[in-house]
Amino acid sequence: MPLVRRPSLPSESPAAPAGSITEGTSEQRWAAARAAAAQPDGVALLAKALSQERDPLVLEAIFTGLAAAATAESAAAVVPFIRSEEARLRAGALDALRAMPEASRPHIGSLLADPDADVRLLSCELVRGLPEAEANRLLIDLLDGETDKNVVAAAVEVLAEIGRPEALPVLVLCSQRFVGEPFLAFSIKVATDRIGDP
Amino acid sequence: MTEPSGKRILVIDDANLVRRFYRDALEHAGFQVDEALNGVEALEKVLGAAYDLIVVDVNMPQMDGFTFLETLRRQAPPVSSLPALVISTEAAAHDAAAARAAGANFYLVKPVGQELLVEHVSIMCGLPT
Repeated sequence: MPLVRRPSLPSESPAAPAGSITEGTSEQRWAAARAAAAQPDGVALLAKALSQERDPLVLEAIFTGLAAAATAESAAAVVPFIRSEEARLRAGALDALRAMPEASRPHIGSLLADPDADVRLLSCELVRGLPEAEANRLLIDLLDGETDKNVVAAAVEVLAEIGRPEALPVLVLCSQRFVGEPFLAFSIKVATDRIGDP
Repeated sequence: MTEPSGKRILVIDDANLVRRFYRDALEHAGFQVDEALNGVEALEKVLGAAYDLIVVDVNMPQMDGFTFLETLRRQAPPVSSLPALVISTEAAAHDAAAARAAGANFYLVKPVGQELLVEHVSIMCGLPT
């Protein structure tokens, strides 16, 4: 079950009273979440519900509604959940942010500089949605000082697909910084080979 | 290349390079390897073919590894009892506990080298190491 369905306006959704998004059965909350996306104050309602809801289906409806809104407010509501300790919430937040690339864009720089390595790691995926030149610049800046092996691996994974020649020097630096890490050696070789022979 | 082990492994990870790295190691050790990019795709595969072990990441789009494992354990046997090796970047003690609660049989923290991967997969498949 994907946590974020393709955003669409819920014209077929049942009308629901605004308050019910955090009350009632999971079915009622799900219906209210679907309906909220079409309401003028829908993003605020969904954002409030996101901080309380734990039912997977209702969460899916909330994330989908916020992604469909694709506003600065909806992206700001989702961003904190990237650092959730629950895998389901992290995945839902990441899927939602990926589904609204323009609204997510202003957050990516600060997410990549976050003190929490897990946040930096997950945020590498968001870079994929940016124009290639901007994505390369952000990942090069990240890799230049990154000390966490898994963050480096996540950045190299993206560069292996969209990397440009200007990323080659920092990849060389990373291979020297992480000598003795077989997976990073493998990843960096794949990325540098691909960039060198597009 | 080692003799075929007769064991079939499903590797579930959204990272292309991770899947390639694991596949190279496992195939070289004689395992047959299939791949899935997320929990949704993995569920389709485990319901359509017989596997001896799954190697699964946690943070994946569409369906994370824990949700996949919880769903897997609710299936009918023998799918519900498929052994699962979780390999994640999440290194805290509560992450391993969450993996076990979701249905993991064993938990490793990334990055995992090829020798360590093959060793654990072999043990979990009941093969000599």
